[in-house]
Amino acid sequence: MAISDKDFELLRDFIYNLCGMYFHSTKKYFLESRLTKRMEATGTKSAMDYYTLLKSPRGGEELRFLLDEVTTNETYFFRCVPQLNAIETKFLPEIVESKGKMGFRKLRIWSAASSSGEEAYTLAMMLLEKRATLLKDWIIEIVGTDINETVISQAKEGVYNSYSVRNVPELYKRKYFREEGGKFILSPDVKKFVTFNKLNLYDDTKMVFMKSFDFIFCANVLIYFDLAAKSKVVQHFYNNLQPYGYFFVGQSESLHGVNDKFKTVHFPGGFGYKK
Amino acid sequence: MDRQVMMETARQMVATIDDLPTIPAVATQVLQLLNSPDVNVDEVADLMLTDQVMTARVMKMVNSPVYRPSQEITSLKRALVYLGLRHIKEVALTSSFINAFEDKGGVLEVGPCWEHAFGVGMVAKVIAEKIHYNDLEKAYIGGVIHDIGEVVLSYYRSAEFAAVLEQTRQRPVNLVDVEMATFGTTHAEIGYCIAEKWNFPEAYREAILFHHDPRGASSDPVLCSIINLADLFCSVRELNYGGRSWVSFNLVEEDGWQILKEQFPSLAQLDVERFCYELDDAVPDVKELVSSIFSRQ
Repeated sequence: MAISDKDFELLRDFIYNLCGMYFHSTKKYFLESRLTKRMEATGTKSAMDYYTLLKSPRGGEELRFLLDEVTTNETYFFRCVPQLNAIETKFLPEIVESKGKMGFRKLRIWSAASSSGEEAYTLAMMLLEKRATLLKDWIIEIVGTDINETVISQAKEGVYNSYSVRNVPELYKRKYFREEGGKFILSPDVKKFVTFNKLNLYDDTKMVFMKSFDFIFCANVLIYFDLAAKSKVVQHFYNNLQPYGYFFVGQSESLHGVNDKFKTVHFPGGFGYKK
Repeated sequence: MDRQVMMETARQMVATIDDLPTIPAVATQVLQLLNSPDVNVDEVADLMLTDQVMTARVMKMVNSPVYRPSQEITSLKRALVYLGLRHIKEVALTSSFINAFEDKGGVLEVGPCWEHAFGVGMVAKVIAEKIHYNDLEKAYIGGVIHDIGEVVLSYYRSAEFAAVLEQTRQRPVNLVDVEMATFGTTHAEIGYCIAEKWNFPEAYREAILFHHDPRGASSDPVLCSIINLADLFCSVRELNYGGRSWVSFNLVEEDGWQILKEQFPSLAQLDVERFCYELDDAVPDVKELVSSIFSRQ
């Protein structure tokens, strides 16, 4: 169902203000198709009816369903290329230099909503490529956490379908995957750098132990939290990040109004946060 | 860096260019006319109509999505009324500047180059609006012309400039540092010298000279800061000369941001993330404007 530009802007602003996810105008068709599904499920007749539903007391619950629709299939290898480029071009060399000067030769990375592991393993492959040069003799620790045990076992297993690996550069695909019966099996050389654990980001007692990370990633999760919960979790990320470290959210997410300590660092095609 | 030495080097470089384009006579006359106190739209329209190329450009710019008229404007006079007398200057200057360098070729591709120029103009205007800067057209024009020094380098020193760009493509080095090492001056000083030759008002010359160093500005540091930030934002979104240089910046550390925040504390509340996303959304409009300006119809 097509929605007018005006209704699109109304919904986009409402969703953005509520959860911090921005729908670019290029994503209008995408939002339309997902909205259509939710409108069928809720029996709403028009975009305006659906908007009214979102604003009603039942709106919070409905927004979760809508977010599920829009974030589904969002997990794949090499998902956010601008972020990866920025890490490779600038942020990683910068951190290696700062830490190297202090005599630390250990890099710690946290994929804080690791799902089936694609993000954590993407980083592992990228860093593995630097083992002979920039990261020679460095210890690499990558931690993936998720609240859902099913996806954690999938991550540990490291077997993927062609959709997940569609963005993997050919060189990486040949080097780090073995194809078998239409499945892509990740090499143990990559798996050994990553550990996966169950973690509820809302669990303060466990969050305080996630210490001293150089990079933290948390995509498509904070949008589900209300402002208070979001602020609390982001404060944990802030505390758990090294002074020179970087924190990244999803490609269309925003932390505006959530935490006034993090500073935005801009790079081609995206931005991250720094202390 | 000694600014005076850099300026002298730039002046010498510009002096050696013997086929430097000149600003069209009609544009100069339009600018003079706009400065007279009792100017009216009919007079300006009559004068502009003597230059068909300028008239065609003005019509295309007015009908572009960046200006968004509610219905297509088909006469020059209506276009000028729609723009308002204050804005005629911006289109006249911009149009002359485009004419001067059209078909020149050079290292920078015409499309991405003008997309950056108009993008910076548009973003500068948006920032100027947000801080209630008193002259939005000045911010817009300043944005459009801020990199004229690069256009000159791209055309008249193409081999060396291509090597400079190659060095900045993949690595986080500053373009001005590489230019300095290669030419002993940068596109900012060269742009200033061109603007001087073209008799651009002092405010624009200063904006060109200090768009990478707004702290250096003395007469209008706010304008230089607006253009500095607009340039930075365009350089990290899709209005970046087609990915010409690898740029990254920490907003709170930027002089332009600090200068604007000192004067307009409310800017601290700006939703920077949304600002970037909205900028992405405006990219197709800017591309459409540029392609319409350069289309032959």
